[in-house]
Amino acid sequence: MAGAGTLREALRALLPPTKEELTLQLGETVERSVVRLLREAVELFCGGRGDECLQASEAILDYSWEKLNTGPWRDVHRDWRRVYAFGCLLKAVCLCEETGDAGAVAAALRVCDMGLLMGAAILGDILTKVAAVLQAHLPSGKRPAPGPAQEQPHEKKARHDHVRIPDVRSERTVPRLRCPSLQHFRKHFLVPGRPVILEGVADQWPCMKKWSLEYIQDVAGCRTVPVEVGSRYTDEEWSQTLMTVNEFISKYIRDEPRDVGYLAQHQLFDQIPELKRDISIPDYCCLGDGDEEEITINAWFGPQGTVSPLHQDPQQNFLAQVTGRKYIRLYSPQESEALYPHDTHLLHNTSQVDVENPDLEKFPKFAEAPFLSCILCPGEILFIPVKYWHYVRALDLSFSVSFWWS
Amino acid sequence: MAEERRGSWFGFGFCGFGQALGSGRGRQVHSPEPLQTPGEDADVCRVSASWSYTAFVTRGGRLELSGSAGCAAGGCRDAWASEALLVVLRAGPGRGAGTELQAWAPGSALSGEPLWAHTVGPEAEGEDAPGGEPQAGALPLLPGARAYVSPRPPFYSPLAPELRARRLELGAEHALLLDEAGQVFSWGQGRHGQLGHGTLEAELEPRPLEALQGVPMAEVAAGGWHSVCVSETGDIYIWGWNESGQLALPSRSLAEVGKTAAGEASGPKEDGSDVRTAEGESGGLAPFIAIQPFPALLDLPPGTDAVKASCGSRHTAVVTRTGELYTWGWGKYGQLGHEDTSSLDRPRRVEYFVDKRLQDEPLKVFIVTEW
Repeated sequence: MAGAGTLREALRALLPPTKEELTLQLGETVERSVVRLLREAVELFCGGRGDECLQASEAILDYSWEKLNTGPWRDVHRDWRRVYAFGCLLKAVCLCEETGDAGAVAAALRVCDMGLLMGAAILGDILTKVAAVLQAHLPSGKRPAPGPAQEQPHEKKARHDHVRIPDVRSERTVPRLRCPSLQHFRKHFLVPGRPVILEGVADQWPCMKKWSLEYIQDVAGCRTVPVEVGSRYTDEEWSQTLMTVNEFISKYIRDEPRDVGYLAQHQLFDQIPELKRDISIPDYCCLGDGDEEEITINAWFGPQGTVSPLHQDPQQNFLAQVTGRKYIRLYSPQESEALYPHDTHLLHNTSQVDVENPDLEKFPKFAEAPFLSCILCPGEILFIPVKYWHYVRALDLSFSVSFWWS
Repeated sequence: MAEERRGSWFGFGFCGFGQALGSGRGRQVHSPEPLQTPGEDADVCRVSASWSYTAFVTRGGRLELSGSAGCAAGGCRDAWASEALLVVLRAGPGRGAGTELQAWAPGSALSGEPLWAHTVGPEAEGEDAPGGEPQAGALPLLPGARAYVSPRPPFYSPLAPELRARRLELGAEHALLLDEAGQVFSWGQGRHGQLGHGTLEAELEPRPLEALQGVPMAEVAAGGWHSVCVSETGDIYIWGWNESGQLALPSRSLAEVGKTAAGEASGPKEDGSDVRTAEGESGGLAPFIAIQPFPALLDLPPGTDAVKASCGSRHTAVVTRTGELYTWGWGKYGQLGHEDTSSLDRPRRVEYFVDKRLQDEPLKVFIVTEW
């Protein structure tokens, strides 16, 4: 196992060689006091005063964190996210400077992941590289310390007696096409905004064969990710929290979980580039106006039973199913009135109706609203047109990848 | 954090910029220390602390800055410090010439031209205390209470004439107003429940807190994302974000560190299951509260009446009628004054002021820094 010395060297090699280059170009939004503190932290770092640099980094992190929590997320100035990432960088490297023991490395990796989750790219996306180095220096037994019932890594059987498989034969189903041409897809589905399941497009992606629980834990087990806890995001008890992928799997996938946990809507493939090699961007995305870099790729990984309440998104969506099956219902934007969206700003894109158990007294028009449905299986891609209402329930342990494009 | 006692000031908390808190050594002060105020101690009538610097105003009108910004200037009646902007109320030459509101970049040392200036008419001064001296400490509410100043554009915001504001406080993204009749109003962002109207929706205009109607308030205070008010009878109402226990309600993050004070039973139970909730003092299970969107009545120890509340960005402080200081919330930089860096989700008395037998001369006024 690599010692602290080689870790230190590997990290130093990633950092800019001079103090002057270990700086951020920041605009007016970041106050001078913060700029001064950043400079001071770098001085302390380059001067080998690790403890004091850690203190200064903590203050940088705490102050910028407050800025990240002020105002709507989309209005948070990118410079504050860069400052936050910079604080994470200094803290992570300082944590490893003293000792290279597994505890310090794991803590440093967690800090990097916080910077990747909430910060913005700095110094040539340095946090991704630092995270990869740290991950490589963790002891090879990347599984968490044995918790209750941890010995067998095989997948525990899901509670199949509880799952309700909808009888989709009585419902209008989403049409299926095998590898349509770009023109055909554009003319018949993209332009008119009609859902379709594409077969033969994703079924050869490496992820289809490679992604098992073991593989995910090997590649990403020690990485920190956001997890949604609670049946659905419209519930009062719903919350978001952070944990490693290992913790998520052991708490919410194996071991008869008490609550529903969902690793949902997370840009896992930006955080862990190695996983990105197992998927591809569907060619049909080139029919849009945006660049490939603007496509948002999200991972959706959870146990049987996760539910995304009926909602709509502002972009086109290709939902690729990798593991397990999902029951999906689709309502046209023209039916919006019958879906009773919430009137709050926060939830105006979400329906108040529980699709598989609707309160028809409260929401009478819902009963007559026409819809399409399907059970999406591994290897298939569902095209969800922009603003098309969709409801999703996982029938098995499930891993999906969504591509949001315009 | 700092308090006044007949002109004696004490400070504790974050001082990573060398701002005059206590001895000024180190980046944090965990227990109250006498404040090294520039100039003579007894002369300081107003302290306004931002994150990286502190502004002192003396009765003689002298302004001194300490910390990341340093300077001295005269002719100042009041000052209000924020990271982006230092706002100063300066006397015009001679009586009747009005007061000028000036906004400066903190690092400008008040030399050159202010970023902007606004004359506050002499008619505003008629509403001051007898003797003609405008009350220091009303900023960001301007003399005359027709408008207030904020560190972000629009810097100068008029208030509707029917609002007879007595006091105004600004949080990171919301505002609180206390009117002459003791009614509390709030507006701004509401995502953390800090407006107290029972939702997470924003409000563009001051909206009265219906839940508090009928209970006249004596004081209001705004933290970064939480709000506090004190009734005329000494009760505390609190609402907003509780992520560090700043509402004195059970906080999940403190429980995860084993520190929820609502009960000692925080941690795995004997059967190995996690304690998902905090135990209330009566033994019942209380849920963790991340956001409290409408006012909750806070329990101080029996027999204590609050007279003043003040908030930092994520902590809260209250002074009682008998001169005790209680603090709770985020404590990482020693800002709670309990000689440690623990956060708390219930009120705890700052023993320093009890030990020093300051109860004969009770703590009167205090301000709280951001951290």
